[in-house]
Amino acid sequence: MEKQYRLLYDENLCIGCQACSVACRVENSVPDEVYRLQVHLHTKGEFPNLGMNYERLSCVMCENPPCVSVCPTNASFQSKDGLVHIDERSCITCKYCILACPYHARFINPLKNVVEKCNFCYETRVSKELSPACVSICPTDALSFGDMRQKHSLVHQKSHKEVLVFPKAHLGTKPKVAFIPNRKGMKS
Amino acid sequence: MAYLQARRDFLKLATTGATATVLIPGSLGALGEVALRGEDKFVRSICEMCSSRCPMEARVINGKTVLLQGNAFAKEMGTSLCAKGVAGSSQLYDSQRLVSPLIRVGKRGENKWREASWEEALNLVSTKLSALKERYGARSVIFSSKTGEHYDLLRSFASAFGSPNVFSHWSSCPIAIESAFTQTFGEKLHRDFENANYILNFGHNLFEGLDIPLTKAMAHFCANPSKKLVVLDPRFSIIAAKADEWHPIKPGSDLAFVLALLHVWIRDGKFDHTFVEQYTIGFDNLVDAVKETTPQWQQTLSGIDANMVERIASELYAAAPRCIIDWGHKATTTQAEYQRSRAILIANILMGNVEKEGGIYFTKSAKRVNALAKESIVPELNNPYPRPQINEPRIDGAGEEGAYRFVSKQHGVLTAIPEAILSQKPYEIKGWFLTRHNPLITVADPQKMKEAMEQLEFIVVNDIYLSDTAMMADVILPECTYLERDEGISTLTCKVPTYAMRNRIVAPLHGNKSAIEIMRDLAERMGFGSHYAWKNSSELRAFQAKGNAELLQTLLLRGVASFDVPYFCALEPSLVERFCERYPKSRAWVDAQGCFGHLLEHLKTPSGKIEIYCEEIEKVFKGYGVPRSVDMDVTQGFPYVLTSGKSAVHTNGHTQNVPYLAMLLSSNPIWMHPSTAKAHGLKMGDTFYLQNAIAKEKATVFITEGIRPDTLFAYMGFGHDAPSLKRTHGKGTNPSTFLSLESAPLCGAMITNVGVNIIKA
Ligand code: SF4
Ligand code: SF4
Ligand code: SF4
Repeated sequence: MEKQYRLLYDENLCIGCQACSVACRVENSVPDEVYRLQVHLHTKGEFPNLGMNYERLSCVMCENPPCVSVCPTNASFQSKDGLVHIDERSCITCKYCILACPYHARFINPLKNVVEKCNFCYETRVSKELSPACVSICPTDALSFGDMRQKHSLVHQKSHKEVLVFPKAHLGTKPKVAFIPNRKGMKS
Repeated sequence: MAYLQARRDFLKLATTGATATVLIPGSLGALGEVALRGEDKFVRSICEMCSSRCPMEARVINGKTVLLQGNAFAKEMGTSLCAKGVAGSSQLYDSQRLVSPLIRVGKRGENKWREASWEEALNLVSTKLSALKERYGARSVIFSSKTGEHYDLLRSFASAFGSPNVFSHWSSCPIAIESAFTQTFGEKLHRDFENANYILNFGHNLFEGLDIPLTKAMAHFCANPSKKLVVLDPRFSIIAAKADEWHPIKPGSDLAFVLALLHVWIRDGKFDHTFVEQYTIGFDNLVDAVKETTPQWQQTLSGIDANMVERIASELYAAAPRCIIDWGHKATTTQAEYQRSRAILIANILMGNVEKEGGIYFTKSAKRVNALAKESIVPELNNPYPRPQINEPRIDGAGEEGAYRFVSKQHGVLTAIPEAILSQKPYEIKGWFLTRHNPLITVADPQKMKEAMEQLEFIVVNDIYLSDTAMMADVILPECTYLERDEGISTLTCKVPTYAMRNRIVAPLHGNKSAIEIMRDLAERMGFGSHYAWKNSSELRAFQAKGNAELLQTLLLRGVASFDVPYFCALEPSLVERFCERYPKSRAWVDAQGCFGHLLEHLKTPSGKIEIYCEEIEKVFKGYGVPRSVDMDVTQGFPYVLTSGKSAVHTNGHTQNVPYLAMLLSSNPIWMHPSTAKAHGLKMGDTFYLQNAIAKEKATVFITEGIRPDTLFAYMGFGHDAPSLKRTHGKGTNPSTFLSLESAPLCGAMITNVGVNIIKA
């Protein structure tokens, strides 16, 4: 592969402020009723021994993407950079991919009637060497993004310093989105 | 969490189908589809979705999408922005915005309007204001606005008009801490979160009331395992969740906790003796005042274990001077607010963290830096908003003899307005000019405020939405949003001198005018146009910059200007040395310790020193000269305390109707502990009544472990009555309706922790 992209979400820095989610909506003209990206917070424990969980929900860019293998028209495909994209022109809205995705990342864009999801802002930003909108906007630098082959990048350095968690790793989908788990408060 | 709750609300709405298409006269929707215009480029400007005023930039693509992000030329910002900031475009293109001046046709408050031309509306405003001035005197008109450039402009306008009655939002937010600063240091200080090692935080929730540079520094602080954050807050806020320790303190009792800290430090002699001796006065009075305020004593008031206070006191001392006892930014919890704020400042002073890295520091303004360097290294600005002195008493007596003599005349006491209008004392009040100010949501007892407004002869409001307060107006002037207007140069200075400028990103979509244009036009019509040395925003900027084209150019292109002045703390010899190397003439100021100690010895306080004891205050307010235990009760005999605060996606009363933000959080169900809910037979989402002596209001319950059983919490800014704010109209509860107009002694702060009862619906 030509690139080894990784998006790193540091729960220790995330404050659940939703700036990333709004930035994603603006950048990608995501219609009101649907989300490419959400960040959820959950309070855990019993007063006063509490903790907070942080959960970032979006496409995790699987290296083995179930959404691609079920797509009958090849509208869902993997680029040579290893990113999973959807070709709007060939999408017939059969929803197989929506069912196949274990991360609930896909939805139907009600305005265009095609399936959509996070694409790492590939066309508008990443292909132009800009960070994805969510990464760029985050007030606390909870997100970092880059090519893992660049040894000096923040993504590379953080990946080697911290213990990473890959969501639903047991499914063998090999996500490109990794999490640095929260260290504070009551654990769930 | 509340966001999920909001999401559910939203889904419910979304599935119940079509959004109403009733058109409000004068709204953007009434004009139908409007082509979006813009330029395909970056424009750097200043955000205005809250009061933090973060430098930002806009990318305008094909004139359609406006992606806003932080302005990386301001290095503490990077490209970061908060949800409200990013949603700026959603406000800009909101079809519910006001786009045409409106003139009242029904009864006051009835919300019946006709559209008018700008010419007619401005003419009416100027004629009416001039008539009031002629009949009752200029002082019969009051002026109010949020703090910021709008406010400087309005204040200047009011004084040219001749009225002393100008109000900012201060008394409903930072006034206690601001006045504690004035009386202790003669000016405001800032917190060096980046370099601190230990922070004690009293519910200063930078993760829900965001200010990007501070929020970012605080987030990195929290994520750093070698640093320590202790949060005291009755609610498990986001910052509490990020802390190393969270102590659910009883609402209103911060003062007791701080007095106990002071007691422990003084009892054990563990404080910075040299600093106290060299730079402060009144320490002995403090010793006397905190003799009895033991950790044991505070335990009964705050619910925090005495041993905990001992431990935190000793940890803070061990970390000093790289520690901060954080004073927050909204200081309105109790009647004891002034004493609480002063006690916190004095706790910092005892730790000797003033002008130390990782402590607290004085603003390094252009003037201060130039004086220190003994050369002009940073351009100083002209004030474009002149203010002749008005020799008339204010309606609230701020800054004059009496209860509010120590309250700044510049900001006034908002809660004093209704009584003054209703009683027409000390004199007749007939008009009110409100600029982007919505007291019917943000100020205590809006019921009374509304009653008072009904008595007025003339009210003019300029705003971008038809807000609850705008509904009470005779004339509404639709202002353009911050993305559609140029403004003057503003000062962002904290650690180093920095200027910023609001540059317009798109031309006003509907010919709306900026406050600068509105006021300038009115001044001309009312015959005091010569009050201003400028005619439009470009002249204003040039006048302010004293014709410095390079500065203007930088601010146009980059949005911010800083001047490569090295950051220094006056009491850090190595940083002082670095400054002197760059500006050798400044060596003349260096004292025997290698410091700029004189900066702390010639303050704007009566003694010129840091005042632990304020003699002037003591003379008028007995017992207030030094922090002491005073009224911390916030229950007023009721079983629960209703507290309120910000969410990360809304600003006070202003953003609830912004489409993208309304989608994220559309209501404010009241936080309640499960045991409390159970005692009242309430289940998640049930409606019930909150009641106290002032109001009885419907509310919805949000059950969570994250709050003390005796405390309730509401995100503020909900409960809008204005039908024009369709997305937020009638949703949630306005916590202000329960608040009393009785303000905190000495500083005039509105009090936002209030006793209530829970009544089953
Ligand atoms: S913008 Fe950053 S801090 Fe805010 S919710 Fe998203 S990831 Fe978390
Ligand atoms: S997260 Fe879902 S949509 Fe994204 S690549 Fe994996 S399977 Fe496909
Ligand atoms: S990478 Fe782009 S599309 Fe994906 S969540 Fe972030 S902003 Fe949205």
